[in-house]
Amino acid sequence: MRNIVVGSVILTWFLMLSPAAVSAFQEEGTLRVGGMWALSGPAAYIGKSSKGLSALAIDEINEAGGVAIQGKRVKLAMSVYDDACKAEEGLTVVRRLADSDKVLFSLGPTCSNVAEPVFGTLQKRLGDATDTGLQFLFFTDTAIKFGLAKISPWAFRNVGNEPAMFELAFKLVKERHPELKTVAVAYESDFAHSVSTWKGATKPALEKYGYQVLDIVEWRFEDVEFGAQVTKLRKANADILVMMTHTFSTCGAVKEFKRQRVKAKLMVGITSSASTETMVGCGQAVEGMIIPTNFATINPKAKAVAEKAWAKYKADSNLHSVPAYENLYAIKGIVEKVGIKNEPATLLQDRRKVRDALATLGTFQGVIGPIKMNGDNDPVKPRDVDKAIILVQAKNAQWTVWWQPPEMEKK
Amino acid sequence: MTETLLDIVQQLMNGIMYGAFYALVGIGFTLFFGVMKKFNLAYGSTIMAGIYLGLIPLNLWKQPMWVVFVTCVAGAVVVGFVVEFACFRYLRKGHELAPMMTTIGMLILIEDAVVIATHAAPFEYPNIFGDESFELGPFLIRPDYLAILIAGVVFVVLLYLLVNRTTFGRAMRAVAENPAVSQLLGVSVTRTNTLTFALTSALGGATGYLVAMTFGALQPGIATWMTIKGLVVIVIGGLGSIPGAIFAGLLLGVVEFQALWFLGISYRDIFAFLLLFAFLVLRPSGLMGKAA
Repeated sequence: MRNIVVGSVILTWFLMLSPAAVSAFQEEGTLRVGGMWALSGPAAYIGKSSKGLSALAIDEINEAGGVAIQGKRVKLAMSVYDDACKAEEGLTVVRRLADSDKVLFSLGPTCSNVAEPVFGTLQKRLGDATDTGLQFLFFTDTAIKFGLAKISPWAFRNVGNEPAMFELAFKLVKERHPELKTVAVAYESDFAHSVSTWKGATKPALEKYGYQVLDIVEWRFEDVEFGAQVTKLRKANADILVMMTHTFSTCGAVKEFKRQRVKAKLMVGITSSASTETMVGCGQAVEGMIIPTNFATINPKAKAVAEKAWAKYKADSNLHSVPAYENLYAIKGIVEKVGIKNEPATLLQDRRKVRDALATLGTFQGVIGPIKMNGDNDPVKPRDVDKAIILVQAKNAQWTVWWQPPEMEKK
Repeated sequence: MTETLLDIVQQLMNGIMYGAFYALVGIGFTLFFGVMKKFNLAYGSTIMAGIYLGLIPLNLWKQPMWVVFVTCVAGAVVVGFVVEFACFRYLRKGHELAPMMTTIGMLILIEDAVVIATHAAPFEYPNIFGDESFELGPFLIRPDYLAILIAGVVFVVLLYLLVNRTTFGRAMRAVAENPAVSQLLGVSVTRTNTLTFALTSALGGATGYLVAMTFGALQPGIATWMTIKGLVVIVIGGLGSIPGAIFAGLLLGVVEFQALWFLGISYRDIFAFLLLFAFLVLRPSGLMGKAA
């Protein structure tokens, strides 16, 4: 009798875990999508905003009837995981999303140091049976380090083009402030995004526009002591301070600026710092800082999205989080167009169909304007986007538009 | 030349002030080892838990900073008792390495509990000394760093008086010397150990409050960081030696700040650990420890 009970429990457990138990994709009326972001740790403020904006897009899509698949309206259901901005966590989460949760695609990750190894687990050669990498689609909203989408044909990104953003930023600074000629730089030596932005985007831009770099200091992403580095920045006495550092360390450093009476004529910040978190954490100390970004509330649609995301999820709308919203709408359009089956047996084919359609998507509509997705054969940025660049400035505890493309200004 | 000399002196002053914090953490580890002859690797997480608990009256009821300080100390003492109860009290004698394992487990447990409770998001910690440094000749002095140095001196003097001039201190020294004989002479070893936990945890809570204030932001990772620094200090200073922990803490602070200034951030930790290896190889008993 005891053996029968134990056997029944094991059988039930086995059945619960077997594919049959999760075979209800189209039948249960849902389309499964995934999201992996840094929802804990110092980068959590970025990941939580992406999660909030994606939740807003899902709410809107579901309230409007869902996604049309095989003549049936299905609702989006999202599996969300915290990778804590740690590569080892990300590697676990991607397997869970792809194999256990069987989602069609995933948003995220937040951090480039997670995206790099995670994309490394994806298939490198499409349709090659000998390539056993994961056939799993990412449409990343945040991890911004230049060139990450080149790692796998399954990796797509709707993120800013930082070399172009900083090129434009220093071009405009040069035009508007020709009297500023020298810079001092700070970056986080242990954080992939910070290092790559400094070396791959900011440094070339500074060289192009003839700025003299007087000193370069490094600290770590989670450092809390900046005395020695700030003393060096003070002694450099540069016209412009270029802070390629993220909110947590930026706020600590600018407090040290105050202690050591460091006063630059202008500060330029890293793209990720154009967030409410920076305003709250750093306060007046970042007044005047200029940052290139891809999002500002420059039109009614952007204002409405930002207000709804804040009201419903306390989610900040910025260049990292708004793409999560945009990507879900883009995928909805693709899914309805290419006609996936949304069944467990066709999951790999469905992912491939969506991947191929995304690679040939061309231009799709973003919140502040059109976004162009580069195809697989783009020589410089395959599977990355081109989109409008805006420059914002910290003014009276708010990010205000310092420059925007003339065509957007007219609208 | 003069400029370089001024830089060296400025970083020396910063290193000594910051080193006072290392010394205080090291003293906590040393007291545990000196009295109980065991490592308490959960000490860093005890301090961290105390300073997180200190945020409760501030964030929930907007209480003044002295209430935050008292809560930090009390919180650390409560967590210290939990560590003593769970990781030490019921372990059999003769298993000297067992507390290392139990306290590593407790370190991870407390850290993860705080991560779950706070999502590891940084919490702002108000600095009562403000955001301004004051000038001392050509040097800039951070008042909060100076406060750590002064507090360090006060804590050490109080500790000296407690250990050398009170009945409890005599009991501590007796238990440290020989627990079995102390027991025969009427000293309760369990009570002495528990009070040692209370004392070191209170010291940790007070130190943690000052550190969180100077950091300006609090994260759970501070527990592991303090544990590493504390262990480096007690190895350099000599296991069980309070004066050794003081000198080692100051030395570590000075070495870190000079390495950071002259060579950059990557060398700060390299030099700290080179110092540790140098002592382990050349003088394993540390600065003031007893030779084996």
